[in-house]
Amino acid sequence: MKGTDRSTLLVTAIFIVAVVSVPKFDLAAVTALGAYPVFLLTSSGTALRTLSGHLLKLSPFILFMAAGNLLLDRTPAMEFMGATFTGGMLSSAVILAKTTVTLSALLLITLSMPFHRICRALAELHLPDVLVTQLLLLYRYSWVLQEEASSMQRARNLRSFGRRGKELRRTAPLLGSLLMRTTGRAERIYRAMEARGFSGALLLEEPAAFSAGELGTTTLWALGFMMLRLIF
Amino acid sequence: MPTAFEERSLMHNFPLNRGSTYLIFMLLPTNQSSSHPNDLGGIIMHMADALVSPVVGGAFWALSSTLIGWSAKEISRENDPRKTPLMGVLGAFIFAAQMINFTIPGTGSSGHLGGGLLLAALLGPHRAFITLSSVLIIQCLFFADGGVLALGCNIFNIAFFPIFIAYPFIFRLIAGSALSPVRLAAGSIGAATAGLLMGASSVVLQTALSGVSDLPFTTFLLFMLPIHLVIGLVEGVATWAVVSFIMKTEPGLLTGHEQPGRPRFAIAAIALAALLALFLLSSFASSAPDGLEWSIIHTRNNKEVQRNRVPANTLSGMPGALLVLGAAGGAGLLCRPKRVGAAK
Repeated sequence: MKGTDRSTLLVTAIFIVAVVSVPKFDLAAVTALGAYPVFLLTSSGTALRTLSGHLLKLSPFILFMAAGNLLLDRTPAMEFMGATFTGGMLSSAVILAKTTVTLSALLLITLSMPFHRICRALAELHLPDVLVTQLLLLYRYSWVLQEEASSMQRARNLRSFGRRGKELRRTAPLLGSLLMRTTGRAERIYRAMEARGFSGALLLEEPAAFSAGELGTTTLWALGFMMLRLIF
Repeated sequence: MPTAFEERSLMHNFPLNRGSTYLIFMLLPTNQSSSHPNDLGGIIMHMADALVSPVVGGAFWALSSTLIGWSAKEISRENDPRKTPLMGVLGAFIFAAQMINFTIPGTGSSGHLGGGLLLAALLGPHRAFITLSSVLIIQCLFFADGGVLALGCNIFNIAFFPIFIAYPFIFRLIAGSALSPVRLAAGSIGAATAGLLMGASSVVLQTALSGVSDLPFTTFLLFMLPIHLVIGLVEGVATWAVVSFIMKTEPGLLTGHEQPGRPRFAIAAIALAALLALFLLSSFASSAPDGLEWSIIHTRNNKEVQRNRVPANTLSGMPGALLVLGAAGGAGLLCRPKRVGAAK
């Protein structure tokens, strides 16, 4: 039985719902569900250092909310091996654990699957063509505009002195120029695409029906997540 | 055979500045990539999977998906493929423009352009909504900003309010079609600030409804609103400055998308009705197992109830959970394609 990119995205979505449904204090259940990102990590051969590098950039908002629980809920909740744990300790640990396992799964998918395949899978899951085309174009032109913005930024920095010269009244024309160049570029891109037969969508293949392999893979994983939720 | 650019999707090579945006959390230190150490835009706040309940996440997924589907339908109806590449490069422009920051007088920090309102002014609401949604999807997938379940909340908070509420009801109303300098300034600043404040309030509401955080609703709201008021003013001034530049150099860009007579009040009414329904539904969904106990615990400080809420095996079950992780890792190694190992 073999899954596809489409079933991988579906399984990941089911996994995230399973993690999010874990109650506020249930650390063991979240840890057990970490089996999915661990499986992805070892089966894809992704370096742990690459993953952890991105996980260390956890959103400050998450850290703030976890710290809030730690400080606000100081009611002793349970004793384990002679140590007392407050409700805040457990709930903040669960917030961090949920963040870690869900983001790990998502990052591992994007690390191991090229973006055009993700977009194709999204199209097969019946995302509107307009959005899929937009994602592909945005991804493609981010590289180009990044270089352009980077050279503009460098040129301005070389001509300014510390914070002087970087005020909004001087930066706004810079941004405006970047925008003008962007729209000019869009016009040229459109002409080039039109010359190649572009009619509004980049992916023209009709999505195939959901195969038995995909159905089996998705069901097996979903049952696995359910089993872990029942046991822990 | 994939092309070269297709193969560059490895996230660690993705070139964009992670700092995006609109709901920015200022008081904590940042470790995000930012070209200025005190860049306000480098410290961001998105709703995250760990903070939303399945009911709230699912409801906002449904709401945002409906809005995306409706916007896509409207775009298809327009049948103007010329604007498709424009949407793509303007989405990329939003990312690129965030690299170029500006100093904020008297604060010692810097800011950057937000984008929602500017996109709406350049593309019209439907195309702007799809464009900003695609930016948020890229951020979710490549920078792990937020998460998949929270994506619906983030699209609603960050894209819906500035594009479908602030732009038509505040910016267009104040700035009008003549776009005089004073009205343009008032419209830009008013709309950007209002959009951000609505988004921030929505974050607080979603967090409170999810019941994951212990932060009291009023305290959280009073904490969020003043911060986002300041950020909204900064973003409004930046948007005004850029729109003014466009007005002087290429005014046609700002007026090409106008569609008089769209049922904008109907959109707002539907969205508000959906929010109200969500509020009522979530109260029902969460109050049975959680809300009642929560109120008992926090009003009476009843330690016994708190003890009963914590699963008995939450810590004693940890060895078993770690065993499951080990088994999953082993299974992954067995399933690993041989060519992956050979490539290494």
